[in-house]
Amino acid sequence: MVRILNMLAIAALIGSAIYAYTIKYETIFHAETIVKLQHEIKLEQDQIGTLRAEWAHLTRPERIQALADRFLDLQPVALNQIVRAEVLPGKAPRVDAIGRKLGALGLAEPTNTPRDAALDAAVSSTPPR
Amino acid sequence: MNEDREKMSDGFNLGLDNKGNGATVRPAGSRVRVIGSLFAGIFSARLEKSAPRIRLAAWVFLGVYGIIAGKLLDFGLRPDPPASVKRAAADAIAAARPDLLDRNGELLVTDIKVMSVFAEPRRIIDKDEAVELLTAVLPDVDAHELRERLGSRKGFVWVKRAVTPKQQQEVYHLGLPGVGFLPANKRVYPNGPVAAHVLGFANLDGIGISGLEKYIDGQGLADLHGAGFSLAPVTTSLDLQATYAVRDELARGIAKFKAKAGAAAILEVNTGEVVAMASLPDYDPNSPADALDPNHINRLSVGVYEMGSTFKAISIAMALDLGKIKLHSRIDARDSLRYGHFTIHDFHATHRVLSVPEVFTYSSNIGAARMALMVGVEGHKAFLGKMGQLGRLRTELAESAEPLVPKNWGELNTMTIAFGQGLSVAPLQAMMAVAALANGGLLVTPTFLKRSEEDAKKDAPRVVKAETSEAMRYLMRLNAEIGTAKIADIKGYFVGGKTGTADKIVHGHYSKDKVLTTFMAVLPADKPKYLFLTLLDEPQGLPETAGYRTAAWNAGQVTGKIIERTGPLLGIPPRIDLPTQPFPLLAKLGYAEANVPAHGGRAH
Repeated sequence: MVRILNMLAIAALIGSAIYAYTIKYETIFHAETIVKLQHEIKLEQDQIGTLRAEWAHLTRPERIQALADRFLDLQPVALNQIVRAEVLPGKAPRVDAIGRKLGALGLAEPTNTPRDAALDAAVSSTPPR
Repeated sequence: MNEDREKMSDGFNLGLDNKGNGATVRPAGSRVRVIGSLFAGIFSARLEKSAPRIRLAAWVFLGVYGIIAGKLLDFGLRPDPPASVKRAAADAIAAARPDLLDRNGELLVTDIKVMSVFAEPRRIIDKDEAVELLTAVLPDVDAHELRERLGSRKGFVWVKRAVTPKQQQEVYHLGLPGVGFLPANKRVYPNGPVAAHVLGFANLDGIGISGLEKYIDGQGLADLHGAGFSLAPVTTSLDLQATYAVRDELARGIAKFKAKAGAAAILEVNTGEVVAMASLPDYDPNSPADALDPNHINRLSVGVYEMGSTFKAISIAMALDLGKIKLHSRIDARDSLRYGHFTIHDFHATHRVLSVPEVFTYSSNIGAARMALMVGVEGHKAFLGKMGQLGRLRTELAESAEPLVPKNWGELNTMTIAFGQGLSVAPLQAMMAVAALANGGLLVTPTFLKRSEEDAKKDAPRVVKAETSEAMRYLMRLNAEIGTAKIADIKGYFVGGKTGTADKIVHGHYSKDKVLTTFMAVLPADKPKYLFLTLLDEPQGLPETAGYRTAAWNAGQVTGKIIERTGPLLGIPPRIDLPTQPFPLLAKLGYAEANVPAHGGRAH
């Protein structure tokens, strides 16, 4: 009985030791991962900073103006080109311009082409059976 | 018992002990016997001896483990030695500094990480070889100087700050022991000289030397960063686009009128924010050595100038506010004003009695001088003091200048100062006063940081009455309609303005052909939001200006261009119809004509 208890105690001891070490190494592993990730984050942040500076440098008004003068056929906005939204004319009523044109052509009206006339005549002259 | 012990001893000692066979050894001599008995004593396995032995062993082990435990404790408690060179160099690295943004969040100043090459002289084996190899890779490092630095007994020296990635690779491939890299912060100003005077610059070690860079150092931000807080960016009052536009137009104006220098600024009159500012010639803060050139000073806050006729606005406001005159009052400008052997003339002489608005639109020196005389020397001094014109203007920028105030301020001084001669102030200071005349009468100190109107007006003292402020707005508007400021009357904006032309003092005398011209404009005049200032130093007359070099022709024109260009950027909507009742207070006081647009007049 005592021997079994001893064996159990030893087993528990070894087990807990293994468990403790596992946890310890996992902790170390996670800590290292954190440090690594922090380093990467720092690197990324630094890169973002550099890119932001580069973006600000490339979009500085001086450069944009020079490029616009060279490549764009635009001129500075004049004050009479700026109006308030309420000054803009309202939306015109919807007009079916194509339909109106077609209507003016008179396509819908009856025609007197020979074929139609013949058809009419045939219809009217059909003798009752 | 004794027998047993004897046996045990025999068994344990394996014959080394001479107890058992002592009889056979004895004849060899007594010395052997003594040694033998000694061994027997040491290695005896007798029980009465083993107890102290075990105790001894226990003590020894206890001692050894005690020493180990003590040493462990010692290691644990001892502070970390400066193990890595990084720590040793920590104070040599530029501290991180907060970004500076413009009012819309555009980046004005930022930090980037760059690699710097350092060396630890003590760890370098062959210093001459190291110098040779390093200078081959980094050609702009002075070999002689580097050898000297490596020869020093320091633990850490910089070889070169801010190397390119390619150079870093090359140095790395040299494989020199004792040479390494450290990431360091480098301050960059992506917009170059735009807003340089406001931003200032920081040196290689990350210490602010001038401008806002110096100001933020004084705010304890570096300590915050050291304590582990990340630095929040600082939002300035500047608008990057407007600042660029102002600088661009100013540069064109300087080139066109062949001026020596110039400055321009836009001030938000209600919050005191400097929205745009340029002073030319300027410098690029990315190469800060240029900043030391005395010609590159910030002319708006470091330079002091006689502001000329723009000061008449202050004089008239003073006389109006103290009740010495009313808008309908008549001022005698028929003859030049004599004082002792001095005579005050009018540039646009009319030789008649002028009304107050006419004094302003004709920019009459005589009229302004007479008004100041009505107030008197003491009253004049007190009013200018109240307007902040007699003391140094303190903003976030450390660079500022004391105004040049006459030591013995007599009546003659009061007369000349009334029309802007004899008192030199920083242009920004004059802007602050005119802004107070325009915004309803509150003296708001200019700032270079973003500020809300409530914050600005919280402790802004009232310097003139609201009616006086409105009268001044009316006068400035009238001046833009029919007076000297006509050229800056941009259609669609309700501009008010005042010109100022001051003869420069050369060798103690007013020069005949060197002038300093200023122009101030408020926009819109009925409810001012922005105050524009342009200052040109020694502009020349041009054929197209009929040879005139007075402010309206040059500074006025530049201001007009600036207003036209920055108005939309600053979000001021152009108005097709001008306001019908721009000056309600004046109408209530019986000056209904103030609300009727004036026509005609002359252009100067």
